[in-house]
Amino acid sequence: MEKEKRKKKVLIKEKVLGMPPVMEELSTVGKSTVRVDAYAKVRGKLQYGGDIDYPGALHGKVLRSPHPHALIKKIDTEKAKSLPGVVAVLTAKDIPGRNGFGAIIPDQPVLCGDKARYIGDGIAMAAAISEDIAIQALELIEVEYEPLPAVFSPIEAMKPDAPQIHEKGNLLTTGKIRKGDTDKGFKEADVILERTYTVPILEHAYIEPDVVIAIPHPDGTITVKGPMQAPFTVRRNIAPVLGIPINKVQCVQTPLGGGFGGKEDSPIDIGARAAVLAWKTGRPVRMEYDREEITLSTCKRHPMIITCKIGAKKDGTFVALEGTIYNEQGAYASLGPVIPPAGGVHAHAVVMLPGPYVIPNVKVDGYLVYTNHPYGGAMRGFGAPQVNFVHESIIDELANLLKMDPYQLRLKNCFELGSETATGQVLDQSVGLKDTLEKARSEFHWNEKWKPAPGLKEVENADKRRGVGMAIGWYRTSIGTFGDGCGVNLHLQEDGSVLIFQGLTEMGQGSYTVLSQIAAEALGVNIEDVRVVAPDTDAAPESGPTVGSRSTTLMGNAILIATEPIKKSLIESASELLAIPMERLVLKNRRIYDRDDPSRFVDLKEAARRCMATGRRMMGQGWYAPPRPSLNPETGPGSPYFVYTYSTQMAEVEVDVKTGAVDVLNLVATFDIGKAINPIMVEGQIEGGVMMGLGYALMEEVVMKDGMIQNLNLQDYIIPTALDTPEIKPIYLEYLNVHGPFGAKGIGEMPNIPAAPAITNAIANAVGARIYDLPAHCERVYMAIKKRLAEGT
Amino acid sequence: MAKEKIQFEVNGKNVFLEVDPDELLIDVLRDHLGLKGTKAGCRAGECGACSVILNGRVVTSCLIPVMKADGGKITTVEGLEKDGELDPLQKAFVEKGAIQCGFCTPGMLLSAKNLLDQNPQPSIEEIKVAVSGVLCRCTGYQKIIHAIHSASKTIPGNEV
Repeated sequence: MEKEKRKKKVLIKEKVLGMPPVMEELSTVGKSTVRVDAYAKVRGKLQYGGDIDYPGALHGKVLRSPHPHALIKKIDTEKAKSLPGVVAVLTAKDIPGRNGFGAIIPDQPVLCGDKARYIGDGIAMAAAISEDIAIQALELIEVEYEPLPAVFSPIEAMKPDAPQIHEKGNLLTTGKIRKGDTDKGFKEADVILERTYTVPILEHAYIEPDVVIAIPHPDGTITVKGPMQAPFTVRRNIAPVLGIPINKVQCVQTPLGGGFGGKEDSPIDIGARAAVLAWKTGRPVRMEYDREEITLSTCKRHPMIITCKIGAKKDGTFVALEGTIYNEQGAYASLGPVIPPAGGVHAHAVVMLPGPYVIPNVKVDGYLVYTNHPYGGAMRGFGAPQVNFVHESIIDELANLLKMDPYQLRLKNCFELGSETATGQVLDQSVGLKDTLEKARSEFHWNEKWKPAPGLKEVENADKRRGVGMAIGWYRTSIGTFGDGCGVNLHLQEDGSVLIFQGLTEMGQGSYTVLSQIAAEALGVNIEDVRVVAPDTDAAPESGPTVGSRSTTLMGNAILIATEPIKKSLIESASELLAIPMERLVLKNRRIYDRDDPSRFVDLKEAARRCMATGRRMMGQGWYAPPRPSLNPETGPGSPYFVYTYSTQMAEVEVDVKTGAVDVLNLVATFDIGKAINPIMVEGQIEGGVMMGLGYALMEEVVMKDGMIQNLNLQDYIIPTALDTPEIKPIYLEYLNVHGPFGAKGIGEMPNIPAAPAITNAIANAVGARIYDLPAHCERVYMAIKKRLAEGT
Repeated sequence: MAKEKIQFEVNGKNVFLEVDPDELLIDVLRDHLGLKGTKAGCRAGECGACSVILNGRVVTSCLIPVMKADGGKITTVEGLEKDGELDPLQKAFVEKGAIQCGFCTPGMLLSAKNLLDQNPQPSIEEIKVAVSGVLCRCTGYQKIIHAIHSASKTIPGNEV
């Protein structure tokens, strides 16, 4: 058996893209090389969007609706226009082309014409010679509103008499899974548990504010520069808003000071508005949203209300699961709706709700509903953190009911190689979930630490109680719909250095470094010899958005493809220089040498020069798109994503019984990530994602009242600080992905997903009181303990 | 508003400027002196990206009226490097993977620098307290904390 397993691993390895023959050592890939941008960052020299001085640029500001839902009866801009220093004051009627943008559906007005749909909606904007004057101009714009009844809950918004936010109604999209027969399944169950959970609106809280500079050119083109996760999506929106073809809009990415999905969406909004001001004035316009404006107006993590019912046999075997997701979209569609086969936050949430478990009978219904709240977009995990909290909470409670170790219950039911998912996808490769469980168990010392939740007396008499909890999860690599193709142009220079033109963005995750490592490995050069040029839509091929944990895997493959013609030219040249047949030549460590006699070599630089001199091809193009997804949105079956990353997380907490305050003491996080191209950066993704999950578990929530956000700045919207950091042990396992460069899968989002339920399950284990609503802040934990003590159960 | 004359020392250099007295230190550093390493994240003194060392204390420069810096001594991230040699903290941040998007890095480095200036052998807990005024959304802080701890070991007399 063991032997067979090993054999299988080796076989897979041979099929993996880019992987050299089994015994050969990798030079750059798999090494913790220093980030290519580390020195500039540590010296304070890296130029972010807000650091660019553009003398003579106008400053743009947006007037925002104070009403969650209101008709706009009249806008008077005369006074604002006559303020000295004001160059333009624009309203909906001034938009040159389509008055709408959106990552999926252009349902959000650049400036509202007839009505406003949330507090923060754009109503008018001004451009002036200084930011102060632009702000004064906004104060002089007179708007007459007629407030309309507003709706703030997806369940309320689905009722027939609810205020209608958009013409086509409030139900934006649905989503389904149908597998087997859940009625029959529940009849076979010995234990059935049904629970309802809520998860809050979250703010990305990237530290760098949104900023763009839009520069119109005399030839009818326009440049928009700024931090963007998806320059091609921004461009695709700005062009129709200006009424010009896509090829006249140039989007240039500046280094991102954090994105986490938020800057997939917000640069469309700020970019389109600045572009319109620049277009209309004919002058460069700088626009920056301040912190409170970002919180008020840009996209959020979707809040959801989810009911889940699970049935199991006495021995713990899962037999049926049903779920209903009320997913609140807010005022505009952003990245929420389903794009068949499986794109959009909502589609992903539906697909992920049954968790990484084999369950024969599954029925999920999801409703994505407009309300008059801020709109939901992409945020690290794209719908998965919400539903992961649900399946990991209910399974933990089920283990309690069955009097089973929650570890054993998960191990019994979770995916392994060959498992079939709820949508009928057979996982035919790279499924290391069970090993992540086993590895976490031993590293965390689960067997020694875990014991059933305490009895009433033990909680009543305690000041502080410790507990442990765990959660597992899965996450896609890729976006599961159109636009998943990745293009790259690779240019060999005559001195052997390399330039990479591609369109995926560096937002701190380290993509430039990882992509440089992949190119360096394939071409046999050092990482310092490779430079990734910042994405510029005028120079880079279409690459899709920097989302879905797709950069390393998809762009990595495109780069490997692009290196092929360059390698061929180099080897041909070296063959001539060395008089050695091409098939014996190997590229490595800046040399091209004879495989049979490594003492015979030529410097790669020499070969590059010869390529130049002999007119050999010095560029390579790469295009990679993952295997096509398939999913029937009506009934659910299909393969939405081509490969998944898996994780187990275990947390130990201390709960202050008297106050409900929770301290996370330590956390082990294990992953199957295919192949770590850069181990230290993988650890960085894990630790950062876990801490964002800790925030989701314990403290983060955008608090709403009558449609208005109550915690606009970071003194009220609390994110974890260094004082909240427990000892985190990041561990990765490598179950090579045959469709990934050197076997890699995505890692950007997975760490963020099981952290929250691991922590809340630990709270339940510490005090025997369970949290059904995030975040588990101290009041909520205190009330849960109090309720348990009062009920005496 | 009438301009005021102001003098202070930034990164070891004396600076004489005429400023609007209601200007904030961050804007004077960034816009008058071109020291763009100091970042504005919230302009409410919460994120700490604009942290600089003023007279031996870490301050959020977005809350400091520039006149408060008159006659003072300021260190920004650009001042950490000495004669082309990176500060041990900068080196440790690079080597220990303590940088992701980099936007909080200047504030983190200066908070850590001030800590090590005053307490060359801090405990992990003391490090956490010292950088708790700077928010980082990328790293989860662990590698930052370890980098600072490791840099403290390279200070002469602290080697283990």
